[in-house]
Formats: sequence, C-alpha cells, structure tokens
Amino acid sequence: MIWLSWRQQRTETLIAAAILALLTVAFVPAGIHAADLYVQQHVARCVDRQTQACGFVVGNYVLNTGVLRGLLDSGWFNLIPGLIGVALATPILLDLENGVVRLAWTQSITRRHWIGTKLGFAVGTAVLAGAGFSALFTWYEIPFDRIFGRWDKFDFEWLAPVGYTLFALGLALAVGVLVRRSAAALVVAYGAYVAARLFVQYWLRQHLVAPLSATWGPRSAGPNLSSAWVISQVPSDKAGHPFSGGAQVFQACVRSNGDGFKGVSQACMARHGAGFTHAVYQPASRFWEFQGIEFALFAGVALLLTAFAAWRVLRTD
Amino acid sequence: MTAALVTDGLGKRYGSQWALRDCTLEIPRGSVTALVGPNGAGKTTLLRMAVGLTRPSAGSVRVLGLDPHVDAAEALPRVGFLAQEHPLYGGFTIAEMLRVGRELNPGWDEEAARARIAELDLPLKKKVRSLSGGQRAQVALTLALAKRPELLLLDEPVASLDPLARREFMQTVVEAVADRELTVVLSSHILADLERVCDRLVILAVGRTQLAGSIEEIVASHRLLTGPRDEAEDVARLHDVVRESHAERQTTLVVRANGHVYDARWTVHELDLEEIVLAYLGQDAARRREAVLS
Repeated sequence: MIWLSWRQQRTETLIAAAILALLTVAFVPAGIHAADLYVQQHVARCVDRQTQACGFVVGNYVLNTGVLRGLLDSGWFNLIPGLIGVALATPILLDLENGVVRLAWTQSITRRHWIGTKLGFAVGTAVLAGAGFSALFTWYEIPFDRIFGRWDKFDFEWLAPVGYTLFALGLALAVGVLVRRSAAALVVAYGAYVAARLFVQYWLRQHLVAPLSATWGPRSAGPNLSSAWVISQVPSDKAGHPFSGGAQVFQACVRSNGDGFKGVSQACMARHGAGFTHAVYQPASRFWEFQGIEFALFAGVALLLTAFAAWRVLRTD
Repeated sequence: MTAALVTDGLGKRYGSQWALRDCTLEIPRGSVTALVGPNGAGKTTLLRMAVGLTRPSAGSVRVLGLDPHVDAAEALPRVGFLAQEHPLYGGFTIAEMLRVGRELNPGWDEEAARARIAELDLPLKKKVRSLSGGQRAQVALTLALAKRPELLLLDEPVASLDPLARREFMQTVVEAVADRELTVVLSSHILADLERVCDRLVILAVGRTQLAGSIEEIVASHRLLTGPRDEAEDVARLHDVVRESHAERQTTLVVRANGHVYDARWTVHELDLEEIVLAYLGQDAARRREAVLS
C-alpha cells in the first residue's frame, strides 16, 4: 500500500518538489547576497534608529538586494502553499471519481487501511512541502526581519505555511468527496482557499488577540512601533479619539514662522481636537503567539475537513 | 462446510428506490453460477454487497461464512471481484499493476500472474491505458485470479467485449475453475455468454430472485405444454406455471413440473435453457407492465 500510495502520488509530489526547487534556485543566491550586503553596508547599526542617515542606509540596502524581495512583497507567493495542497489531493479524488477504488477496495486490504495510508502520504507530503517553503523564506527574511520586524512576512515564516498547505489539502479532499467531479472540486477548493486566506489576513487575524493601543503627544516619541504590526495609526486628540476635522482645520492652523517657512501650530491643532497620535498595534513580542494561533486555526480546520473526507470515503456505497 | 455465498432477505435501497429486494439464495462451494437478469435487476448491487463495497439496507449476506463488512480483513483475501468496467490504474504499466496485486494481497501468486501475461502476449512495460478492451479485461481477470480467491465474483465481465474477446475471457475462467477449487459467480444479461461455463443458474428480476438451482435440474423440470384452454387451471394446480399465453381455444404454458406430466390432451415439449430464462424474464416484463398500468 505504501508503494501504491507513492506511485499514485508521484506526479504531484514531483510538481511540489519542482516548485520548491525553482523557488530555492531563485531565492538562495538572493538570500546569500542580502545577508552579505547586510554586513557590508553596516545595516545592523540602523535597526530601530529613525535618523535620516539610517533611512538612507536602509533604503539603499533594500534597493541593492534586488527585485525578488519586491516580488515577495506583492503577496502572490501566498498562492503556492494552496497550489501544493490542492495538487496533493488529486490522486485520491481521481481514484474516487473514475471508480478505480473498486479495484483497490476489493484487494486484501480494508478500506480503512487504504484511506489511512493514502491520507497519511498526502498529509506527510503537505507538511514537508509547507515546511520546505517556510524554511526557505524564514531564512531569506532574516536580515529584512531585523529591519522591518517579523510581522512583515508573517505568512511566509515558521509554522503558518505548513498550516496553509494542510488546509488547502483538507479543503480539496472535503469538496472532492462531496462534488465527486475532481476538476470542479479542485477549482472550488482553491477559490475557497484564497477566500479564507484573504479573510484571515485582512480581517480575522488582527482580532485574534485584542490589540494594544497608545496615544502620544507631539513632544513624545511614543512606543517603538518599528517592529510591531501597526493596524492603524491616526491623528487624534489627547484621549485617543480620532481626529475628525478635515483639511480646513489644517489650513486654519498653518502659521508663518517669520522666516517665510510655514508650519502647523500644534497648540492650534490641539484646540481643534488633534495634535496627538493614536495607534492600534500588535507588539513584536506576540509573534509566536500569533504563529501558534494561525497554525492551530488552519491545521485544525484541515484536520476536520480531512476527517470528514475519510468518513465519507468509509461510508461510500 | 458453509456455502460460498448466502443471502437472506437481502435488500439495498437508494433513496426510495430498491435496487435489490428480498433476495434469498445460497450458492454452494465449487459451483459456477450464472446470475442472470435484465439491466437494473440488482445483479451489480448483489455482487457489490457480497464483496463489501456496498452495505445492505435490509437482510444479510455472508461470503464463506463471513460478514463482508464486519470481517472485511478476513473475508477480502478470500474473495476475488472484477467490476464491470474492469478498473485498472490507467497510467500504470502491466508490471506495475502486478506489483499492486503483490503488495495488496498476501496470497498473491506472482508466477501464475506472469505466466498468464506472457500467454496473453502482453509486454510488461505496456501501459494499461493503451490496452484494448479485451486485453484490459484479461489483465483485470489475471489480477483477480492471482489473488488465489476461494470465491470469484465477476460482474458483467464480458458485456463490453467483442465476441472473440468474450470467448477468450470465458476460456480463462473455465481453465481457472479446472485448475483448482474455485467457486465462481458471473452476472450477465445475456445468457449465451455464460451457458457453456456454468452449472448453476440464478435468475434475478424486479430486484428479486425468480429461480435458483442447478442448470441440469432446471432444464429437466421445465416443460412447454400446449392443450385445451379450459383445462389450464387443472395444470396450474399440479405444476408451477411460469408463463401462459392463450389462443382462442388453445393454451400454451411454460411450467416447472412437479413430477412427470402425463396427459394425453396436452402435448409436451422440452425447453432449452435460454427459452426457460426468457419465459421468466417475460414474466418479469409482464409484471412490470401491470405495475405501470395499475
């Protein structure tokens, strides 16, 4: 059964391996270059320093590390764990669709044994592929994480990609046993994967743990947000209520400094209910907590979906 | 020794439709049984339940004394099954298909399987996808036989094959039965495919068993009677009437005779197996028409 599972999943496993190999070939040289440059250009001393000179050093560094980081920034690579997960479900779904399971289920092994081994293989490969994906980007991001904080590429690092791959696999299996037409099931499952990821990334994740908030005045530096995940940062009054006045308030508060240079009077802004900054954020220290929650969420749903698929297979007449 | 296959009030319902209903039969070991009936009579459902692919909705089924669901691990190695569409992994080579058989069956007979493939003149490296329908059926049968089952269930094994491939397939079955102790159940809606091979017959129609027994006994007991119409009822009292048709003064009856038929006023003809089966299936068609009309 182990040989059969491997033989049937060979193509999909090779596709996953090819995708990861392609990413490795692209990102490993770029990662080595970025790590070298980080040392050469003394970027480390500019971590957490907001001076103009440091802004220049960091900007220059990012510029010199090449275009791949920009590609990663675009978020398109988030599609890859889903693609691999969905692909790994196809051999099982095709077997069910074209009735060849009637061959497998009438050999000397039980159906429970069959589905157990098949799922074990698919899940194992998904974990390996997700871990490979994560390892590559976690390593590549080391210098960038020091500068921008680890929140920046949260869904490419550590546990999260493993959860995403398992989730896509579970989705495809569950939809597949319901729809019974593999091609349609894979498309629907992939769409659902993208929708779920967007929902979590842009809405759910920030609510998983109540965020911190801070309000500070013009003369205070405020909390160090350079490596935090800033959910919102807006002008506000002293109590932290967001500034509701429009452009006319700014215009009313513009004062000439005497030397012809214009500035905004902070005292005037404060009178109009502004002059302070209010930020809602997740601190860098919560990174692991969020990684754990994100993984548990996606892997947990994946477990339920996979168990449902197995149950349906065992009950198939 | 327990029978190879026993069903008792076995039924399967899909939604509100019964695919098979109240099926009670016993297939003794060592027999080769033809399971005959029109399309939709429940032949496939019966065989699938026997091998544990489908769960019964009513009644019970036992193969070699075992429940195919509860005792699956014990029953499966002893039962061979060939589904109607001869399922094989399309992208596999024949050698890989044999490996599937070897990996999944403890009793696998590699030597016999290889010998059979060589006899068929099929290269081991050939992909299953590129085989003809007949070759595919033969490879699937090779797999089912190399498992060395005690009971072999073949669901419409030759329905999709051309006449030559049919003959070759059935020849393989005959050889396998001659080789060793093997009980075979073959289903078909065409009796001609099976008659040469089988020694027992089960007729399944309207989802029920209509007739079951040894072919010899069935042929010996069924007669075609032609006689006066007004005495048809007297005949029915003595013998089981399978089918009747009336002309103005004369009646023709197909009966399953209980004892000899002596009566000077009735002419008695022997029937061959096909005519008997048709009489039962005709009865089925007539009942269905009644069901539709009522």
